[in-house]
Amino acid sequence: MSTQAMKNSKITKWLFDHVIYVFLILLVIGIVIASPDFLSVTNLINILSQSSSRIIIALGIAGILITAGTDLSAGRMVGLAAVVSASLLQAGDYAYKMYPNLPELPFFVPIIIAMVVTGLFGILNGVIVSKFHVPPFIATLGMMISVYGITSIYFDRPPYGAQPIGGLSESFTKFAQRGIPIGDYEIPFLIFYAIIFSVIIWVIWNKTQLGKNMYAIGGNPEAAKVSGVNVAKNIIIIYMIAGLLYGFSGTIEAGRVGSATNNTGNMYELDAIAACVVGGVSLSGGIGTVPGVITGVLIFQIINYGLAFLGVSPYIQFIVKGAIIIVAVAFDMRKHAKKK
Amino acid sequence: MFKKKKGFILSLTVASSILLAAGCSSSTGGSDSGKNKGGDKLPAVGATIYKFDDNFMSYVRRAMEAASEGKINLMLNDSQNDQAKQIEQVDTLIAKGAKSLAINLVDPKAAQTIIDKAKAKDIPVIFFNKEPDSSVLQGYEKAYYVGTTSSESGVIQGEMIAKAWEANIEKYDKNGDGKIQYVLLKGEPGHPDAEARTTFAVNTIKEKGIEVEELAMDTAMWDATKATEKMDAWIAKFNEQIEFVIANNDGMALGAIASLEKAGYFSGDKFMPVVGVDAIPEALDMIEKSKMFGTVLNDATNQGKATIDLATNAANGKDVLEGTDWTLDDSRAVRVPYVEVTIDNIQVGKDAYK
Amino acid sequence: MSEARTTNILEMSHLTKRFPGVIALQNVSLKVKAGTVHALMGENGAGKSTLMKCLFGIYTMDEGKILLDGKEVSFANSKQALENGVSMVHQELNQVRQQNVMDNLWLGRYPKKGIFIDEKKMYEDTVAIFNSLDISIDPRSRVSTLSVSEMQMVEIAKAVSYHSKIIVMDEPTSSLTEKEVDHLFKIIRKLQSENVAIIYISHKMEEILKVSDEVTIMRDGQYIATKSAKDLTTEEIIKLMVGRDLSQRFPSKMNQPGDVILKVTDLTAENESSFSNINFELRKGEILGIAGLVGSKRTEVMESLFGMRSLSSGMVELHGKEVHNHSPQHAIKNGFALVTEERRSTGIYPDLSISFNSIIANLVQYKKGIFLSDRKVHDDTKWVIDSMKVKTPSQKTSIGSLSGGNQQKVIIGRWLLTNPEILLLDEPTRGIDVGAKYEIYQLINQLAADGKGIIMISSEMPELLGVTDRILVMSNGRAAGIVDTATTSQEEIMRLAALY
Repeated sequence: MSTQAMKNSKITKWLFDHVIYVFLILLVIGIVIASPDFLSVTNLINILSQSSSRIIIALGIAGILITAGTDLSAGRMVGLAAVVSASLLQAGDYAYKMYPNLPELPFFVPIIIAMVVTGLFGILNGVIVSKFHVPPFIATLGMMISVYGITSIYFDRPPYGAQPIGGLSESFTKFAQRGIPIGDYEIPFLIFYAIIFSVIIWVIWNKTQLGKNMYAIGGNPEAAKVSGVNVAKNIIIIYMIAGLLYGFSGTIEAGRVGSATNNTGNMYELDAIAACVVGGVSLSGGIGTVPGVITGVLIFQIINYGLAFLGVSPYIQFIVKGAIIIVAVAFDMRKHAKKK
Repeated sequence: MFKKKKGFILSLTVASSILLAAGCSSSTGGSDSGKNKGGDKLPAVGATIYKFDDNFMSYVRRAMEAASEGKINLMLNDSQNDQAKQIEQVDTLIAKGAKSLAINLVDPKAAQTIIDKAKAKDIPVIFFNKEPDSSVLQGYEKAYYVGTTSSESGVIQGEMIAKAWEANIEKYDKNGDGKIQYVLLKGEPGHPDAEARTTFAVNTIKEKGIEVEELAMDTAMWDATKATEKMDAWIAKFNEQIEFVIANNDGMALGAIASLEKAGYFSGDKFMPVVGVDAIPEALDMIEKSKMFGTVLNDATNQGKATIDLATNAANGKDVLEGTDWTLDDSRAVRVPYVEVTIDNIQVGKDAYK
Repeated sequence: MSEARTTNILEMSHLTKRFPGVIALQNVSLKVKAGTVHALMGENGAGKSTLMKCLFGIYTMDEGKILLDGKEVSFANSKQALENGVSMVHQELNQVRQQNVMDNLWLGRYPKKGIFIDEKKMYEDTVAIFNSLDISIDPRSRVSTLSVSEMQMVEIAKAVSYHSKIIVMDEPTSSLTEKEVDHLFKIIRKLQSENVAIIYISHKMEEILKVSDEVTIMRDGQYIATKSAKDLTTEEIIKLMVGRDLSQRFPSKMNQPGDVILKVTDLTAENESSFSNINFELRKGEILGIAGLVGSKRTEVMESLFGMRSLSSGMVELHGKEVHNHSPQHAIKNGFALVTEERRSTGIYPDLSISFNSIIANLVQYKKGIFLSDRKVHDDTKWVIDSMKVKTPSQKTSIGSLSGGNQQKVIIGRWLLTNPEILLLDEPTRGIDVGAKYEIYQLINQLAADGKGIIMISSEMPELLGVTDRILVMSNGRAAGIVDTATTSQEEIMRLAALY
């Protein structure tokens, strides 16, 4: 191989490894060319805060993907958490309360309750996958449907029936909608929640036995088993962590929107899986990083926000997003394809 | 093999640049400004539609686009039936410098969040078609509502049923007991319109002194296909006992008619009165073919027009009603009236879609 | 020799293992002394891996007992064996490729500091072990970036980290360069000096004589002898390994090789670590065998001919005209057919019927409009069953319920339906009992007599000698020579197979 060819192949390899960043840069450049005022602090804050709850969901799903699993029930769990927490967070003076006699709770109590509920469903997912050996796609598909039913039963109840649950207490909406003022701008708390969870998840993935086991189980389940890893237990914990993350995310979704219905969170799992995949998480397991997942979410959010900002027809936005998922995975497959 | 790799990269590069090009090109001529050129000079109005592919809302959207021509730069967004997405779109619209907002909520209880965002920037908001809680609306003096009284569609539907029953009792009262045995196709449970139409239609009939008996009621989620499936089952179960089919919207009414046709209705003297709400063109067609008794016109054109009238005035810093015929009620809402449409006044319905 | 080296660390005595219809091990014994390298030798199918699988609890033995350090043991799985100081460096390395070296080394027993992993201790412990073994691999490098020999060293280090008393190495040098082999031997010597016993499984005579203290030879599931390596020569080992009567196991040959139909020139794989510069010719009606050790890339050559792998150079000529098989579809169109080695994973659709399995390679022939002609499918399946003498109750029987021999007959029948000129058979009799093998040999013979050109890979030396006309011997990705079956010997083939 000549040095020129070697150089070429190095560049090719670099492009293969970083294609998604290249694409992101091209995308931003494209948007900025089309509309120079896209470059503003407000837009940056908007994109980051809109990414926040998606990042938290995606981190939950990413852990599961790394174990070579998947979770289709994520969106519905977000909905369940949103409905449960909203029902417990309605302001004391609101006329249509689901629990008219419930005193106004400190806002963190319902958050914890919602997280416990979805955490339990996460455990259930993990048990079904690891103990009953139901393929994760099927297990979580079933869970997705069932959880929707459960959410709807909880939601559609007397005294007011299937009404969106609104009138959330101010302490809670502040928690989800407000932020820390810095200069002329207000940095939403949401961004900090995403940062906190990202750090926690990064530590779990990289600094704990659970994290190492997670990669091992996804990368080579046989090797993990032979080395004495309790595969079932680890899988259950990973699904549980995902459940907890969905729970938190669901509550802040309710807070961010100011209300919740049984349809909150619908299809979020697909956005999250797509973001993970674009961020380099391998669907066949064993590969994925926290920064990658965050990048994947940001890319989607920049597309969402940027194209909306440009006023691109929503239908074209769909085409672009779909194409990006396919292109990202096509590159990924090339990268990991073993030379025969 | 190296060659293959190159080809692969090339094709992906081409694919992605096409996408970018598509994105950029449509940004210049896209839906941003409706059809008006030089939109930059016109005041910007941000609008969100809860779901672009909603049949009725697409007529409202068209009316809005028509009404905004030459007056404002209308930035339309599709919220894809996702309230979180809508909130994000509102952020984007504010960031883009909208002077007023026209919001078709996904979830009526989310109004407060949007008002908070608008209030922070002192931007007027006109909600339309989906009504926020009155107390929420009162919390911001620059918030308005354009829509209908949701109970009204049910009331008008009930009146129409009562009138039809009394005029045709010989033909309609199949078992001769003087009571209306009906089946009811309900929209999405929890949807304010579905709840209101269901309650008020039935109550209005009763108030007219007619006895009713509910054979069955089920949700078909506003959807024609689902309505057909439900109706299939009901025909199988009740068949001749059914004397009236009440649907919360025309889509479901059409679904029911499809099912009835399969069962041999509307040929010979086998007939079933079916009523809906919305007066969509397909429903008007059915009324003309005598397969549907009537519907209630939810006046898309005027809702769209009123919304844009108010939003335009608001964007220009004028009184929202200036130069219009609309009036505000106590809760700062413009109520566009519903209209009963039967074969007798079918033209009213048709005009709505001109 | 120290005292430790005279005590047996492992005693496996009188092991018998039966599988339905086959006795895999018959009264086999193996005694390994502490601190020695004990070579375990035998042809493919002699029972070496079965014996090791009994040791590690993957198979349960029917008779016999295992003493470890004088105490009777019976491991339930390889994890238990590992914890008791018996470990195995696998031929197919069992590692999580996406993770780094030390993550793999300590998988399942990470050192911890509170709830966090103590990365520092992990690193230091890894470095300590690596230093003691003269391994220079960065513990933080990702396993997927390592060479095979480096991965193997990580596996050995892992065995050491478990304080193993016995380490089994299965064909450890099959994909190593000479320098890497020297390094491996150095490590083995070091382990030996720490009183670790090594069970060394290999086909390479030179290596065995160089590295081992004692040699145990097995043949056909039976124990033959244990001798001190000092007293052995390559010839003696081969004699002990082969030592059996070949007559009556093969049908007499009736094929008559004719003109050259396939000419392969300078075939080189795109993947540099695979094969290179392969040349051979195949005649009409000829059976060409391919011999070689595991890892000599025989299958790779065959799959390349069939369009499953990419080539960097070389020419394939059919009847003097160059052909390019870019994919199996091309290959089939050009008259090639391949019966794969892994019948279970790449050959059969076990839950589907014989009929389906017969016609699947050739669906286009059965199209009638957009549908498949039931009539023709039925007729051809009947042809497969009749002419291959498949024993089955019906065409609709799922192929998975047949015996291995009958499955193989259906697969060969499937490919004959494509009417190939050139039939590629990769280990056609693997996992088939002796009686059924004879029938397969007959079939191969008959096909050659009918004018097909046949290339056949086999790891069973007698089979190659009994069935083929000529044998291409491969060694480490290169052609070591082509021999005439009538005039060659097992010894010559073995010598060639170990050439590179």
